[in-house]
Amino acid sequence: MEWFLPFTSLILVVVAPFIGGILSGIDRKLTARIQNRIGPPIIQPFYDLIKLWGKESFIASNFQVLLAFSYMAFSVVAFSLLVLAQDLLLIVFVVSLADVCLVVGSFSGRSPYSYIGGRRELLQMLSCEPILILAVVGIYMVTKSFLVSSILKLSFPLIAALPAVFLALLIILPIEARKSPFDISASHHAHQEIVRGVFTEFSGPSLALIEFGHWFKLVFFLSLLTLFWAPNLWLGAVLAFIFYFIVMIIDNIFPRLTWKFMLKVVWIVGFILTISNIVAVALLGGG
Amino acid sequence: MLIAFPVVMGLIARGLKNVKARGIVVSLTAIILIISSLLLVKLVNGAPYTLTLPEIWDDVIVFLDFALLAYFLYVGFRVKHPLVIILTLLQIIPLAYFEFSLPVVHVEPTLIIDFLSVIMALIICIIVSLICIYALSYMNEHEEHLHLAETRQPRFFLYMLLFLGAMNGLVFANNLYWLYFFWEVTTLCCYQLIRHDETPQAIKNAVLALWMGLIGGVAFVASIFIGYYQVGGLSLNKLMLAPHSPIILLAFACLALAAFTKSAQVPFHSWLLGAMIAPTPVSALLHSSTMVKAGVYLILRIAPALRETHLSLAIAAVGGLSFLVTAILAISQRESKRILAYSTIGNLGLIILCAGVNTSLAMVAALLLLVFHAMSKALLFLGAGIVENRVYSRNIEDWEGLMVRFPLTSAIMLIGMSTMFLPPFGMLIGKWLTLEAIISEAPLQWAIILIVTIIVGSVATTFFWAKWMAHLLLHPPETGKVKVEKLQAPYLVSTITITFLDIAVAIIAAILISTLIIPEIKSWYTIKLSLPLLNLLTNVGAFPIWPLFITLALVFAVGLLVIKAKGGRPVPPYMCGENVAGKESTVFYSTADSEFNLEVSGMFFDRRLGEPQVDKYITLIGIFLTILVFILSLVV
Repeated sequence: MEWFLPFTSLILVVVAPFIGGILSGIDRKLTARIQNRIGPPIIQPFYDLIKLWGKESFIASNFQVLLAFSYMAFSVVAFSLLVLAQDLLLIVFVVSLADVCLVVGSFSGRSPYSYIGGRRELLQMLSCEPILILAVVGIYMVTKSFLVSSILKLSFPLIAALPAVFLALLIILPIEARKSPFDISASHHAHQEIVRGVFTEFSGPSLALIEFGHWFKLVFFLSLLTLFWAPNLWLGAVLAFIFYFIVMIIDNIFPRLTWKFMLKVVWIVGFILTISNIVAVALLGGG
Repeated sequence: MLIAFPVVMGLIARGLKNVKARGIVVSLTAIILIISSLLLVKLVNGAPYTLTLPEIWDDVIVFLDFALLAYFLYVGFRVKHPLVIILTLLQIIPLAYFEFSLPVVHVEPTLIIDFLSVIMALIICIIVSLICIYALSYMNEHEEHLHLAETRQPRFFLYMLLFLGAMNGLVFANNLYWLYFFWEVTTLCCYQLIRHDETPQAIKNAVLALWMGLIGGVAFVASIFIGYYQVGGLSLNKLMLAPHSPIILLAFACLALAAFTKSAQVPFHSWLLGAMIAPTPVSALLHSSTMVKAGVYLILRIAPALRETHLSLAIAAVGGLSFLVTAILAISQRESKRILAYSTIGNLGLIILCAGVNTSLAMVAALLLLVFHAMSKALLFLGAGIVENRVYSRNIEDWEGLMVRFPLTSAIMLIGMSTMFLPPFGMLIGKWLTLEAIISEAPLQWAIILIVTIIVGSVATTFFWAKWMAHLLLHPPETGKVKVEKLQAPYLVSTITITFLDIAVAIIAAILISTLIIPEIKSWYTIKLSLPLLNLLTNVGAFPIWPLFITLALVFAVGLLVIKAKGGRPVPPYMCGENVAGKESTVFYSTADSEFNLEVSGMFFDRRLGEPQVDKYITLIGIFLTILVFILSLVV
């Protein structure tokens, strides 16, 4: 098991953006069909990415390219740490580092749209992060370790001990995937007042970098959900994709809500779910 | 010795009227102190170094202490502040009684230098010395702004260096009476340095700091009494080894109260915010390394004696409360130094929380946080001071686009902020360890409460730092020609050295842990930490330190390459195509084609989270928790 871990990780890291891209392609196709359009081919996101990368670079602030690159790079690092079965708490911190890069990059754009986008992205971060950390705490309560490898060594799937934590993660899935009703900062639907606020000032190559990073983040989050079903990782992966498709459908049904509503819902429901689950696990003696 | 030397040099600096000569004296003192503090590491090598001074020194200390208290009394009458008078009398009368009835102040050994003292001494000598060097430039600029007829700098440097000496004395002292004396000297310096500008506001805030500090003094006197009558001596060492009984724990609770006042924990947080009125080197000094760290030091010192007591957890609760509320309050602040002040109180709270949790990993986390906070916060204050002397504003909204105007200072500030809350820098290593320590070692019902407190607090922390960082970078693109910024030599020396140290020590954090922290805690706790290849490995998690730093460096290098390869044409900000051609890029056509200048600001939530709304509640909760500390000290 030990010796091929680096190889599997490498393969996973290489494959991840393809999965992310295809998911994004399926998303667009599905959305188009729901809206009675034909939609682009499934591999359209890859064409887009290549085209964006080749475009001339316009910058609204001198640091945006660097920050966009950092966002992408740290998303990759976070995913790599996950597949290398490292410390989950550390991974959550690295994810927040990536997010901070994006937020600061967007803020520094000086356009009012990107400024507001950055603010909202920060608020999204504010709502997700505590739930993520509490989920990690919940996982610790079951496995007695923060290492991802300990989840893989469990004889039963995590979901059996942590159903409420899993549910809480599902609630923040639309935030991480930038989907309605919580796509406060970067909605791509036309029913909002500011469309893609956080990306307004990013264009060409830097937008390509961010898109690429987002695929990684998406796959990262779906892998996190998959882990709850270990040792049946395949079942977990399939279920994670199904949840993602449900999110896509919800995305097309719900309008976007205000950030205050998002913060309230995510914090109240998320905290209650995760903490009650942690307490339950503790009372029942660690699963 | 490290104590007397800076005091003497301070007196010399007081006498010197010449700016240059004073500069040389201060720099020399700084260099000698830094070298001698490094030698100290060698001295302690292995076992704590102890020193017993002849009894005559005890008499000197007693005499000086009464002189000091008499001075406080005089100040109390002069500013007509009843609290100062009462609190001073509450110390003088019991101490006088004590002196006349039981004259044995002498304790063997007088000074103990163990690893905790060394860590503190290193922080004090290196950081404060650098702050003093920085002050050489800063005070000149500062006085230029104030248009003073006569310079007050000699006095300023006297108190700075006196402070340094007193702090060193404080961390070495084993005799409670000595400890108490140095404690009061720091209160004195604090008072004098805050009122340095002698504006009415400064004097008012100085008095506030004074009476809050004196509460700590009273608590200290109480613990001296209990200690003497229960243990039969004034040795802190013996007090720590005494078996737990309610009365002994009460002495510790008094010491903890003294520590709360000095570290500005929640019911006492207002003095530290008031202290922001002082010149920036003072804030840096009060905040980062000394004054406030004295309280933390005391808690860390007594923590091992409080293992597995309710008292310890109550202390953790006070720290947790401070961490949580100050992080939230900091969001609502616009003034740079107040944000830094709140963040300081919060991080001290976090360290106290760790000490209160009081387990092996938590203590390592506390010491890591102590070291890294000192460096990062000193850096931020020094940076903030430089900016303030150039922008003439402490409002962070006026700091917009500072990265273009003052690239070097801004870069230093940005590094400072990153090191406060982002991986893989020092503070985050500490915070990571804190979380893991609490979850894996603290009693469960407490662990969940503390964890939620820390999580909410650190999310708020991320929020205000990220917001501030973004403000520094926010700028319209056409001013993009980065010009080279010139800084005076003292500024450069101090800030660059601390920046370098901050990052370097984080990379070799494992060496810090193995040479200083583990030897300190291993006599009380079992070590649950190993350091394979200079990375952190606990029994529950792992933190690869230098691989992350290498990754960070790689990301930066490749990122710069990408910028170089792709170039980039500056464009005006997007405003739906309503930009006004030929004007500044932030001007746009508004209704009826009138031209407007774009301004962006916000996200302070001060109507909801502002000080006036929440301050009285948190003070009440703080007072309640402090009382709880005392109640729980009676429950063994």
